[in-house]
Amino acid sequence: MDKIHSHRQVAAIKHSLFDQGYLDEQFIQLEELQDDANPNFVEEIVTLYYRDSSRLISNLDHTLERNPLDFNKLDTLMHQFKGSSSSIGAKRVKAECTLFREYCRARNGEGCRRSFQQMKKEYATLRKKLETYFQLARQAGPLETAYRPK
Amino acid sequence: MEFVDTRKLQLQQQLQQQPQPQEQHFHVLAVDDSVIDRKLLERLLRGSSCKVTCVDSGDKALKYLGLVDDLHDTTSSTSLDSSSSPPPQPLQEEGMKVNLIMTDYCMPGMSGYDLLKRVKGSSWKDVPVVIMSSENVPSRISMCLEGGAEEFLLKPLQLSDLDKLQSYFVKSLENSCEKESVNSSIDSENDNVIINISNHNHNSNSVSKRKAISAESHQERSRTKMKELAVV
Repeated sequence: MDKIHSHRQVAAIKHSLFDQGYLDEQFIQLEELQDDANPNFVEEIVTLYYRDSSRLISNLDHTLERNPLDFNKLDTLMHQFKGSSSSIGAKRVKAECTLFREYCRARNGEGCRRSFQQMKKEYATLRKKLETYFQLARQAGPLETAYRPK
Repeated sequence: MEFVDTRKLQLQQQLQQQPQPQEQHFHVLAVDDSVIDRKLLERLLRGSSCKVTCVDSGDKALKYLGLVDDLHDTTSSTSLDSSSSPPPQPLQEEGMKVNLIMTDYCMPGMSGYDLLKRVKGSSWKDVPVVIMSSENVPSRISMCLEGGAEEFLLKPLQLSDLDKLQSYFVKSLENSCEKESVNSSIDSENDNVIINISNHNHNSNSVSKRKAISAESHQERSRTKMKELAVV
């Protein structure tokens, strides 16, 4: 009974992540790649994303402190970051990346800084939500065990 | 019927006796500077029973293919390689073939297009090259296709994209199977029969699928080309 409840909770969290636009179809693709041979694929790739992208973010931070701003470098860095975000289905983060790049092309430093701050917020929020989601999913265990008669 | 079976048996025995160059696994060289995209690509390809070798730059890809001297490389190496892992052993040392190269377009240093041109101008020119990009730029797509790329895939890659590549998996294995039959040391009379059997086995399983996919990829390409015209 508990197991079934946990699974419903996990499903509800996932549902809201999609509903509120935090995740897109690419995340579903990742889940489809998770199987017996790759049981933790989604969590692994998301963990890898947060580890790898922190380097890009601090790079962007430093580059935004320069005067004058190097918009080409900012755009290149953000292109990389956007690519990674897109690969894990981070929809809101990706949208902020797109906005940032538009500001880069318009040579709008203030716009860049604003959208960068917003992106970091989305990035942090998504991280927390996914951590909760993975934790609950792990606790709930594999779906089959929830329905096995005791 | 009996005649065919005997020949088939002979083929099996002969294949067992011959030293196999490698398992008949389709080998993909994946080139991408993003560690996330490399992981995704590796998972997608391994799921299709491919052997995958990942490198994080065009330079490393060329080194792996044996197209760059180490001496030359020390004077012109890019300092933009972010990977801290050691590069894979060059192919010649491993004794393995590459059946397909999949490369990202936008990479620091050598771009996917640069890599494509280098490969097409080398002894590896017959290996299909697929280019991937997160950006849907029609002029870029047509430039790559005209440069000899077999396919241009948009990122992020999905399972359905692998369907477009299935035809290459089959084609390449068919070619290598035929070559093995031709190179076998049995008499020419048997050669013909065995080639026919191996062709039959492959064709019966995959010919309709391959046709469908070829038609599809032609459609995709012409769709892309039409897109390009519309933009212009």
